[in-house]
Amino acid sequence: MECATKDRIKNTVDEVRSTSFEEKINSSEEKINSFLDAILDFKGMLEEKTTKILKLADKLEEITWFTIDDNECLMLLNDLIAQSKDLHSTLIRNYTHFAALKTKGIAKEEVKEYKAAIDDFKESFSDLESVFFYLPELPQFKETTRELSLL
Amino acid sequence: MQIFCIDEFKAEFEKLISKKQYSTLEKEIIDYFFHKNTDELLSGTRLNNSQDTPYIKKRVRGKGGFRLYFLVLIRKGNLYLLFVHPKTGPFGASNITDESKAMLYKNVLQAIKNNDLYLLELDKKQKHLIFLRK
Repeated sequence: MECATKDRIKNTVDEVRSTSFEEKINSSEEKINSFLDAILDFKGMLEEKTTKILKLADKLEEITWFTIDDNECLMLLNDLIAQSKDLHSTLIRNYTHFAALKTKGIAKEEVKEYKAAIDDFKESFSDLESVFFYLPELPQFKETTRELSLL
Repeated sequence: MQIFCIDEFKAEFEKLISKKQYSTLEKEIIDYFFHKNTDELLSGTRLNNSQDTPYIKKRVRGKGGFRLYFLVLIRKGNLYLLFVHPKTGPFGASNITDESKAMLYKNVLQAIKNNDLYLLELDKKQKHLIFLRK
């Protein structure tokens, strides 16, 4: 065998040996595990946020069962609606980041649930605004309430 | 508690259950409204600020994300279904306008006055709704 050929084989043997050693030392399984852990953490964080947003939506709904007839409370409600709108904008901004992950197939279901919760939250503060500020101003609506109370 | 509905509800219900995507609607309505006492049904968004005759919008967090609009005449122990819409799918809508809410409200009042209602009952297996013209 020519010396050059021998050297090339030897070099390849060295390369395989060192790669094998590196693979054993720096296990990619460990890296995959930490990547999967990060995905699980992300999913957990999204689920927590989703639960929190849905609870807020429920709280806004509950307010519609209070009898509010003074301006001070109405002003507080107005603040609450404004704050809710602000929170909604922030949540939507965050969602756009999460949605990028969804397109890559990461936490698809959790991101979908998170968006549905944001939509429910928006619906709740929009309804709250309707109940205390818009519907009572519709003459037809007030008249129907009056007539129903007489039935 | 007796459960009634107006024409708008029946028409929308029949339109929705004809679609596979909304096949859970009937079960969700049965589970939510039947065999319940009044107190159990007084939740959701109260639209009319009334203690005796609450007009309610209920978000049902099931597969279709249905929104149900109904009125409860507490004194009479009657419940009237006004409208239903899904949140998602081909007939999905995020909400209905205030004018539509007011129109449905007016329509149920007229229907009660004219006795132009359907009484809702369950079939023998308690799996399907039966609409009986009053």
